[in-house]
Amino acid sequence: MAKEPVRVLVTGAAGQIGYSLVPMIARGVMLGTDQPVILHLLDIPPAAEALNGVKMELVDAAFPLLKGVVATTDAVEACTGVNIAIMVGGFPRKEGMERKDVMSKNVSIYKSQASALEKHAAANCKVLVVANPANTNALILKEFAPSIPEKNITCLTRLDHNRALGQISERLSVQVCDVKNVIIWGNHSSTQYPDVSHATVKTLSGEKPVCELVADDAWLKGEFITTVQQRGAAIIKARKLSSALSAASSACDHIRDWVLGTPEGTWVSMGVYSDGSYNVPAGLIYSFPVTCCNGEWTIVKGLSIDEYSRKKLDVTAEELTEEKALAYSCLS
Amino acid sequence: MAEKPVRILVTGAAGQIGYAIVPMIAKGIMLGPDQPVILHLLDIEPAAESLNGVKMELIDAAFPLLKGVVATTDVVEACEDVNIAVMIGGFPRKEGMERKDVMSKNVSIYKAQASALEEHAAAGCKVLVVANPANTNALILKEFAPSIPEKNITCLTRLDHNRALGQISERLNAHVSNVKNVIIWGNHSSTQYPDINHATVTTSSGEKPVRELVSDDHWLNTEFITTVQQRGAAIIRARKLSSALSAASAACDHIRDWVLGTPKGTWVSMGVYSDGSYGIQPGLFYSFPVRCEKGQWSIVQGLKIDEFSRAKMDATAKELIEEKSLAYSCLN
Repeated sequence: MAKEPVRVLVTGAAGQIGYSLVPMIARGVMLGTDQPVILHLLDIPPAAEALNGVKMELVDAAFPLLKGVVATTDAVEACTGVNIAIMVGGFPRKEGMERKDVMSKNVSIYKSQASALEKHAAANCKVLVVANPANTNALILKEFAPSIPEKNITCLTRLDHNRALGQISERLSVQVCDVKNVIIWGNHSSTQYPDVSHATVKTLSGEKPVCELVADDAWLKGEFITTVQQRGAAIIKARKLSSALSAASSACDHIRDWVLGTPEGTWVSMGVYSDGSYNVPAGLIYSFPVTCCNGEWTIVKGLSIDEYSRKKLDVTAEELTEEKALAYSCLS
Repeated sequence: MAEKPVRILVTGAAGQIGYAIVPMIAKGIMLGPDQPVILHLLDIEPAAESLNGVKMELIDAAFPLLKGVVATTDVVEACEDVNIAVMIGGFPRKEGMERKDVMSKNVSIYKAQASALEEHAAAGCKVLVVANPANTNALILKEFAPSIPEKNITCLTRLDHNRALGQISERLNAHVSNVKNVIIWGNHSSTQYPDINHATVTTSSGEKPVRELVSDDHWLNTEFITTVQQRGAAIIRARKLSSALSAASAACDHIRDWVLGTPKGTWVSMGVYSDGSYGIQPGLFYSFPVRCEKGQWSIVQGLKIDEFSRAKMDATAKELIEEKSLAYSCLN
């Protein structure tokens, strides 16, 4: 085990996604089984005792790859020297709260975390924002951490991407590892657009388009899309708790593919800083199909966008533009 | 990827340890990154919706190794053809319950599950009992599944073993992967005996005995022991919930080492059917130091037992004998 440890920050680490995520990181699921890690766990003071309990359990699990745990309520200590930052902490929507109130709370949080990261993280730190509203939180973080390269700030739509793969695999009764190249466009919200126009399935007679194998446009344009869009709510309905397990697993997939590269012929979905590709307004954090190589993501270009998809891409862009305006109004 | 999936049953799968363990299994932490798995998840009827939520999340996570999920409240369907059974489900102690009441409820559960496993599991099924009282639940299971070889039934003391490694590593500021060969003797309860007399630390000048490096017999004979014995309660105090993360991780370690073998020069602790080794009454599930090879465990023989250790080992055996009586009295 000769590699230098990588420092991974998890904010909101005393919460449920944190509890699912930290053992995955400590086992090498995120960066590979030969990459030692040091975990930096941050949460707010009311959660300090619970956070310490998580640290105790990480010690108790005797993970060979885990070279240290820094558990703290101090954002500076948490951010110092980190190479990867997974921002799970945020203000959750409570009953009766207006959208503007949630936005306002999260804007403050992400503004101050941006400063701490910018000043104290290692150079070239890679950031993944998970807490909702993920895209807009990531945008605020970018705006207030100008020395962090914009390409290093992303948000999680890999959960939606994986959910889409899962729905196709169930529909076709195929193994999920044989389905690829779905796309999640846009906002990690109910306006996201799960697009299978370019998705394929590995069959005995080669790779076939999902659209052809499903042979049910009504389902693909209707129920499939709403199922993926509303899956979060369906999980809450069943479990009475939100989808910590699958969110944590997807966060590991996002970072792993970003750092170690996507497999040949395969792309994934990531919320990234828009450069105007596909006529999506520049300056939003928008989910695109990307490939990853040498630690960098690149938007997959040249995919044909039909009329139906165009509308969907635009609707979710519009919502993000509104969220951006709302966020900025909270800053004034 | 290996050809044939291994079927793994998790009982109590809708609970907290279940939620922590299933992604670990699906990511190959239990059996290796090349071994596909099929998960069988069992829980009781009141938890059926929640259990289905777990199944939904397993689909949503698009795990490449996970070739199927059977989520059911039917114990026969759950046990069908399973190669590994991790028994987490049990009746938890509630406020005001007498020890006999808890024992009585769990004896019924493990008697019924024993029958189902015996009749429906695959030949050679390996069983790990986690639910407390783990050793005695394992004993009941063994008694009512006579055609399951007694060597295939075990209970979890790997959590205590890992906790002991963690405490030594913290005390010595050594990395936990450099500490080995602690022993947990006896019952997975507060009478367990964490024994470091044969434990070593890998240093730059070779392997050194823990006792020598710690150089504080008083600490080793008192605080170290009570810390490990009472760690479960300490986690509950800090988190307000019990140690799901570390229990799940330890269960993966237990099965992995059992199936894939312990590293050379290293032993682990497992609750196994006593054969009279070390003067322990045969016919109890007692935690011993074991090595594993070719899918079988064997007790490490010939370790010197000093007077202090002898007394501790006998005390925990005595408790197990009393638990066995109590369990049998519940059966009448």
